[in-house]
Amino acid sequence: MKKSWKYTFAALLLLVLMIVAGCAPGSGGEENSSEKDSSGSGDSSESGGDGEISGELEIQYFVGGYGDSWWKEVIADFQEEYPDVSIKEHAGPNINEEMRSRWVSEDPPDVVYIDGAGSSETQMVEDGQLMNLSSFLDGIELEDGTPLKDSFIVEPAKYDGEVYSLPLVFDTWGTWYDSAWFEEKGWEAPENFPDFMETMGTIKDEEDIAPFVTTGQHPYYFLRGMMYPAFGARGGDELLTQTIQGKEGAWSSDEVMEVIKNIEEMQKEGYIDPDFGALNHTQSQMNFLNHDNAFIPVGFWLPNEMAKDKPEDVKYGFIPSPMQKEGEPYAIVPDLRPLAIAEKAENPEAAKAFVEFVYTKEYATSFSEHTGALMNLQGVDLTESDDVPEFLIQANEMINDPDKVQIYQKPHPMSADLETPISNSLVSLMLGNITAEEFVEEAEQASKEYRKSLE
Amino acid sequence: MVQSKKQRYLFLAFCLVPTFLMFALFTLYPLFNGLYYSFFQWSGSSSLAEFTGFDNYRKLFSDEIIPATIWHDYFLVITKIIGIMILATFFAVALTQMRIKEAPFYRIVFFFPNIMSVVVIGILWMFIYNPSLGLVNSGLEFLGLGEWTKAWLGDEDWALPSLVLPSVWAGIGLFMLMLMGGISNISKSYYEAAEIDGANGWQQFWKITLPLVWPQIKISILYIIITTLNGSFIIVQVMTKGGPNNATHVMGSYLYEEAFVKYNFGYGATIGVMILVLSLITVLIMQYFMRREKVEY
Repeated sequence: MKKSWKYTFAALLLLVLMIVAGCAPGSGGEENSSEKDSSGSGDSSESGGDGEISGELEIQYFVGGYGDSWWKEVIADFQEEYPDVSIKEHAGPNINEEMRSRWVSEDPPDVVYIDGAGSSETQMVEDGQLMNLSSFLDGIELEDGTPLKDSFIVEPAKYDGEVYSLPLVFDTWGTWYDSAWFEEKGWEAPENFPDFMETMGTIKDEEDIAPFVTTGQHPYYFLRGMMYPAFGARGGDELLTQTIQGKEGAWSSDEVMEVIKNIEEMQKEGYIDPDFGALNHTQSQMNFLNHDNAFIPVGFWLPNEMAKDKPEDVKYGFIPSPMQKEGEPYAIVPDLRPLAIAEKAENPEAAKAFVEFVYTKEYATSFSEHTGALMNLQGVDLTESDDVPEFLIQANEMINDPDKVQIYQKPHPMSADLETPISNSLVSLMLGNITAEEFVEEAEQASKEYRKSLE
Repeated sequence: MVQSKKQRYLFLAFCLVPTFLMFALFTLYPLFNGLYYSFFQWSGSSSLAEFTGFDNYRKLFSDEIIPATIWHDYFLVITKIIGIMILATFFAVALTQMRIKEAPFYRIVFFFPNIMSVVVIGILWMFIYNPSLGLVNSGLEFLGLGEWTKAWLGDEDWALPSLVLPSVWAGIGLFMLMLMGGISNISKSYYEAAEIDGANGWQQFWKITLPLVWPQIKISILYIIITTLNGSFIIVQVMTKGGPNNATHVMGSYLYEEAFVKYNFGYGATIGVMILVLSLITVLIMQYFMRREKVEY
């Protein structure tokens, strides 16, 4: 009897070990093969075929500062156009985390809007999760017949020359100020860096506040909102690419050093709120609205997200971050939020139909009305709509005027492996705990480690 | 009625097998799975995983942030043990020995933080530490100590010490109750005898109370160590996210950052293995040092 008990125990243990071994990922070489054919299989499914679009279509979209009303409208319209498709929405502020297990188990939704915490376009492409859309894109036209690929404000990100996602939302980081307050006090929105410093000096003297705030819990806001435009203005797309990709010597170049020196100067003059390190996303935006500070670098989401907290007399003013030298146009580095189709989509035809359906000027206008942000399409006339906020109409005009604003493009978002250590050092620099030289050294070191991790 | 052997084993199996299966599924499986992942380079968001042998472990030993995270964890362990044990013992003695009328009320008040979620506690204390509106800075200003005010959670030197206060505050109640249970089990006659011999309150505490509640103190300390090494992550994640500039990263929050922010899931699993090993070693060492004989009078 005793023995049989032992056998039972041994059998149980074996069972457990088998479960452990069986559930582990990659118990075999098969997953590596799926990476290989990812570039080819996108072409195999015919695009633009008007055949029957039916079956289930799963759409995953992140809901953040822009809300979800635009999505609801588009999806309802699509449903009307294609009544045979049954649409399943996966949406919410934590949707990237919630859907992660679906992506891991290779049962992803068909269409995905890549935005918000927990999502990374670069990572998804590296993992072979997105369909190659290069040839599909060639076939898409807008309602007026112009090809979509010629109508983007900013072109899709390319990975080895191939397109895996189509930029949907044109977000750009810039510097916000309260234009009503500025008017009342007689301050001018700065037009370049020396001007910026002067204005901040005036504000500091007159109001006894640190004029500039950002969130220290997400230091990449400053990186993307202030430093990218500064890099663009000083070294163009090339410098931007080199710094984002952590190329050797990029972060210790003279152009970057100039920018870092400027930031150091802002800190030394006491223009950066010394409390910024403790502030999270919402707190920093609240401080801005409460006139604890006068400038904040964030994206277009600000007015929509803070609609409930905005004091009545605050009027949003937006300028591209004034980090460029005197006499140069403002620099903008757009941040795109793309729409993509899963490589393993179960209903690629319906997914393609949906993507094609979304890219119209009509929806671009309605996007601005719903969200106060821009869709990534050129030549959309926002002036005729009453629902589009004023700052957006101005921003839209500015972006379309190359004398005032120069648009620079980053090749792809910076990898979190590089962005995290650089952002950490940035906090120290902005708190005044390290010098510009030390920052550059740390950034160079982080780039080195990043390059090593790619080998 | 005498049970036959068969019945006895059947009964044992009935009790043990489901428990063992649950244990295997929810403890052993994740444990071995974590160990397994630590040998892979895996983003954690796809099915692609590449076996890289001991690469993650090599990275672990050359990662400059790791020693800092370990120190931060043990800093919290040490300060929490000191803070919680002193205060919990003090309150427990006060509420049991000093015949305070409102004792039940205080018992509830001190235990209250324990029924709150750590996330809520973290958010609450973020408001308390808020640089412009928070209680701490307003209090200092009220006392005329305006120059002491700072962004507590945004200061590279002060952020970690600032996390100790909420952790201690959140922990006192439970251990106070445990010690109160221990103290109320001590027979009153010891204290009466001590009093007749002329021992004062302080001597009574050192010679009677402390030795007799030692088992409870020991368990409390071990419990604080384990929960801190495994759970300090929550308060860090809520209050500072490891910042500013890694000044508050504990092993758990660094694991989270690597696995879910930087998409190095395999490396995250390696950090998890390190946490397991360190927790085990710490608990073993502490058990060795605290192996005091059980005292009986």
